[in-house]
Amino acid sequence: MRNIMRKELKLSSSPLAFLFIAFGAMFMLPGYPVLCGAFFVTLGLFQSFQTAREANDIVFSALLPIAKKDVVRGRMLFVCFIELCGLLLMLVSVVVRMTVLSEAGLYRTNALMNANFFALGGALVIFGLFNLIFVAGFFKTAYQIGKPFVIYIVIAFLTITVFEALHHFPLLGALNAFGTDHLGLQLSLLAAGVVVYVLLTALAYRKGCRSFEKIDL
Amino acid sequence: MSIVEVRELVKKYPSFELKEVSFTVDAGRITGFIGRNGAGKTTTIKSMLNLVHPDGGEVCYFGKPLQGNETEIKKHIGYSTGTVNWYPRKKIRDIVDIVKRFYDTWDDEAYGKYLAMFRLDETKTPLELSEGMKVKFNLLVALSHRAEVLILDEPTSGLDPFSRSELLDVFEELKKDGVAVFFSTHIISDIEKCADDIVYISGGRIVAAMPREEFIAQHSAPGETLEAAMLRMERGEGNA
Repeated sequence: MRNIMRKELKLSSSPLAFLFIAFGAMFMLPGYPVLCGAFFVTLGLFQSFQTAREANDIVFSALLPIAKKDVVRGRMLFVCFIELCGLLLMLVSVVVRMTVLSEAGLYRTNALMNANFFALGGALVIFGLFNLIFVAGFFKTAYQIGKPFVIYIVIAFLTITVFEALHHFPLLGALNAFGTDHLGLQLSLLAAGVVVYVLLTALAYRKGCRSFEKIDL
Repeated sequence: MSIVEVRELVKKYPSFELKEVSFTVDAGRITGFIGRNGAGKTTTIKSMLNLVHPDGGEVCYFGKPLQGNETEIKKHIGYSTGTVNWYPRKKIRDIVDIVKRFYDTWDDEAYGKYLAMFRLDETKTPLELSEGMKVKFNLLVALSHRAEVLILDEPTSGLDPFSRSELLDVFEELKKDGVAVFFSTHIISDIEKCADDIVYISGGRIVAAMPREEFIAQHSAPGETLEAAMLRMERGEGNA
């Protein structure tokens, strides 16, 4: 598995996938829909899929002495690696906003959702959707990237809109907690995000393996 | 001994069909797989590598079916596909550095030998290689992990006559080491020069799969070249 991951990092990937990790820092932007940061991280991954396709990466990988499901696993591991790097940057931003900048007016007067643990859970949901819709969708053909990405864009932005709107509803104000307010709830929501991410990714991997096994290259 | 057995392979496309393709590839022999463009050579080879899924039949290596033993079998196969560009903007050295790790049997000495023989520059990218040099790069990888079977799709296409001759000599050397070489071509003189066995495919059906001498005895008129015999057969004019 180390070998296939090394191949993903050194041969298949686009530098943009690594550069776009930096969009995780959009969690620091005031007055901005922070979950778009998660979307931009996945945009770098989309570019990476395009680069790999142009390099005939999938057929090359299928010819290596590995099972076809390992080709899917390698790509999924790479995607998760980039997503978790982006998430790490978001986590740092959240911690900074929760501590040293917890009283900053710029963030307090924000009509949009605060970058807190709930938002981190939201980012994980966006990443999970990318894995399920785009990555698993790609392995249905191993060449078509436009259609699954457009479907993902629509669903991702609808999801972002829902996340942005939630804290405006009665009784849901705690979702937009600042500093260490409602910490138990916030951490529970982050844990729920982790669970959703793991489930969606596992489902994406299974679907991807099943599709990839069936197609002719 | 048969290292590869292809049994009644069927693959149906809307406008083309592989019809119960069967043949064997033996250790220490060179098998030429010949047929015109669109005859089914690449589909057969892709089926032999599990890149396409046959609708029927099976492929066995070393007596084991490919399905279910793919990872292990692929370690013993060298494969090269014409002029396909892998990672066009990466240096050859970097591509090889990744690939070699997948093979326990990678042979740096053989790699150095073929690198020098093919006059390939490791610092170049596939994008910078001519079509012929791309073929050589693919062959370099296929030859450097001590494969017991070499499956080569049109390895001589795009090569200059000198390189073609050199490559066919490499086949002879590998044959002495007991390697089974299976190569597809539409250049009949390649078959004439080095093939021990001929598998001839036409319209998705195997017309003949037998040792070259037997093929000549059965299908060629006295004094007729292999090329003339095959052209006549391809025109549907039957045996001499």
